[in-house]
This record gives sequence, structure tokens and C-alpha cells, in this order.
Amino acid sequence: MLRHCTMAELLEAQHGMGSTAVRNHLEECEACRVELDRLHQRVASLKALPSLHAPRDRWPVVREAVVAGRRRQWNRRIMLAGLAAAAVLTLAVGVPRIIQHEPTAVEGTASVTYLGDIESLVGESHRLEEVLSVVDRNGRVVDGLTASAIADLEDRIALIDVGIERATAMRASSPQVAALWRQRIALMDVLVNVHVGRVTYEGF
Amino acid sequence: MTLVALDEVAIQRAKAGDLAALEHVYRAYEGTVYTIARRMCRTEEDAEDVLQETFLEVCNSMRRFRGIAPRSLTAWIKRIVASKALMRIRADKYRETDDLDEEGGSVGRADADVALQMDLDEALSRLSNTARAVVWLHDVEGYTHEEIAELMGKTVSFSKSQLSRAHARLRSMLGKEAQC
Repeated sequence: MLRHCTMAELLEAQHGMGSTAVRNHLEECEACRVELDRLHQRVASLKALPSLHAPRDRWPVVREAVVAGRRRQWNRRIMLAGLAAAAVLTLAVGVPRIIQHEPTAVEGTASVTYLGDIESLVGESHRLEEVLSVVDRNGRVVDGLTASAIADLEDRIALIDVGIERATAMRASSPQVAALWRQRIALMDVLVNVHVGRVTYEGF
Repeated sequence: MTLVALDEVAIQRAKAGDLAALEHVYRAYEGTVYTIARRMCRTEEDAEDVLQETFLEVCNSMRRFRGIAPRSLTAWIKRIVASKALMRIRADKYRETDDLDEEGGSVGRADADVALQMDLDEALSRLSNTARAVVWLHDVEGYTHEEIAELMGKTVSFSKSQLSRAHARLRSMLGKEAQC
């Protein structure tokens, strides 16, 4: 080899790899051997750098988040079980009545109004989802209390979504569906405010 | 580096979700995790966030950890912190400017001109986020280029080239100019 070793070649030689030409060159070239030795020393120095300690104890925050997560999972299980029981009860009591009931002319007009109402409510809900996707894009770590509040709101929204799905599947009356959408919008609104407040705080 | 001894019983209890045992794991690995995070991330705040995210992941995924030996737990936790730190680096906006500095060579020349005799710690902190991460993972944590490439979502040659350039820059910053 008519030239000195490159850093890439020295790095390979450091691990006993590299071409025969490089190995032969290292045997003959004092300067490259010195450079290889420096590389060894630099790596050894890196390994010998002292360990560091976090300036603050993060366990209380981690613990709080873990506990909040577990509580959330537990609440979700209980609420889903309750919701399933309520759905079964509603099916048992409500479906026969819905089947037997013929809507009057006044009820029919009211349903049309509510359908229009539902469309605007769904639109508002989508708008809030879009706002949320913008303010929540950062995804930075938040304190345990805020994380817990956000998770709680998300759980409640998820439950309402389940309710909307079931109500739609059971062909529940439009006022009932509209009421569920209103609840969803109210919770989404609070969730957006929590996120906006968090982003403002972080920015500050 | 692990100051608090962990035995297999403590690991089993932590896997079962026992909070006291999980705190034991935190105390045992806090230093290791923070050191890796701090060496890989540019700021103390980022390293603290990575520390917190790592242990949240550890606590939430501990039951899925298959081993029972402290050594395999160490490797598992190190993998998590490396992954979290790299995610943080990817999200780091000023990384691009720093990489440009290295590519352009202007910073390198300035370093050589003043023949800096800074310590290794400071020299390491002056590398780009990516280069520093590769140096730390390869030279200190013993990751192979294949593993680094997989973690970073890059190629093996990217990892090799980052390491090579980082060492060239470290040599320059540490004031030991090439003899050859």
C-alpha cells in the first residue's frame, strides 16, 4: 500500500479486520501504528468516562404515571362492563318497543330536524379532532396530573364513541344520538383546552 | 455502574408489577440509563426526558420481558434507552445545522486552527447528535454497525461512515494531529 491508512481502515484494523494490504502496511509504517494506538487509547478513554447522575429524581413522576395508567385500565374495564350490561338491558327492554312503535307525523318532522342537527354536531366533532391533532403533535412528556386528566378525558370520549356506535347499531332515536354527540363535543372541547394550556405552558 | 444489586426474585416481582420492585429496578439502572441518555442527547433536559420515557416503558412492558437474569435485564433496558434517545435525536431540529457544519468542514478547520486541547467529554459533546450516538453505541456500549443501522433505520455503511468521521473529528479536536 503506497499511502497511509484512512480512519475507516484503522477502525477496521482495530477490530482485527481489514485487508491484508492494510495489515502489511501497519507492520511497516510506524506513523500508522501510532495512529492506531491513539485510536485504541481514545476508545479506552471513552469507556472510562465517568457515569453521570440525573439532577432530579424522576421516580415519583414515573410512579405517578404508572399508577395513573393502571387506574385508567381498571376504570376502563369497569366502565366497559357496565356499558355492556346497560346495552343488554336496553336491548331487552327497548327493542320490542321500537319494533312495535310507528312514528307519528310530528315525530317524523322532529327526526328530520335532529338528523340535520346530528350532521352539524359530527362536523363540529371532526373540527375539534383536527384542532387536537395540531396541538397534540408535539407529544412531549407531561406531568403526571395532566397526563392523568388527558387519559381520563380520552377514556370518557372512547366510552361515548362506544355508546354512539351501539345507538347507531340499535337505530336509537335521533335525539338520543344527538345527545351523545353533544357530550362528545363537550369532552373534546375540554381536551383541546387541556392540550392548548399544556403547549402554552411548555412554550412559556 | 449498577449501584443497587438486583436479584432474580426482585426481577420476578417487578415483572408481576410490584411497584416497590419496579422502584428497585429504577434505582439500580437510573445511573446507567441517564449516562447513556446524556452521552447521546445534546441537552440535560433531553436526557432527563429520555430517562423518564425509558422507565415508563420499562414499567409498562416489564411483564413482557422474557429473561430473569440481571444481565439480560441490563441489555433489555439499554436497548430501550438507546431507542428512546435516538427517537429524541430524530426529533431534534437543530441536528441538520450541526450535520452541515461537519459536512462542510468549516468547523473542523476552525478546530484544527486553534489546536484545541479540550477534554474528551467536551469533544464528544461537540459532535453532531448522530455521530455522537454512533460513537457511544459502537465504542462504549459495544453495538455492531448492523445493530446501530437497525436502531437508526439507516444502512451499515452510514453507521461506519459516521463512526469514521466522528473519530477523525475527535482526533482533530483533541489536538493530536495525524503523523501520517
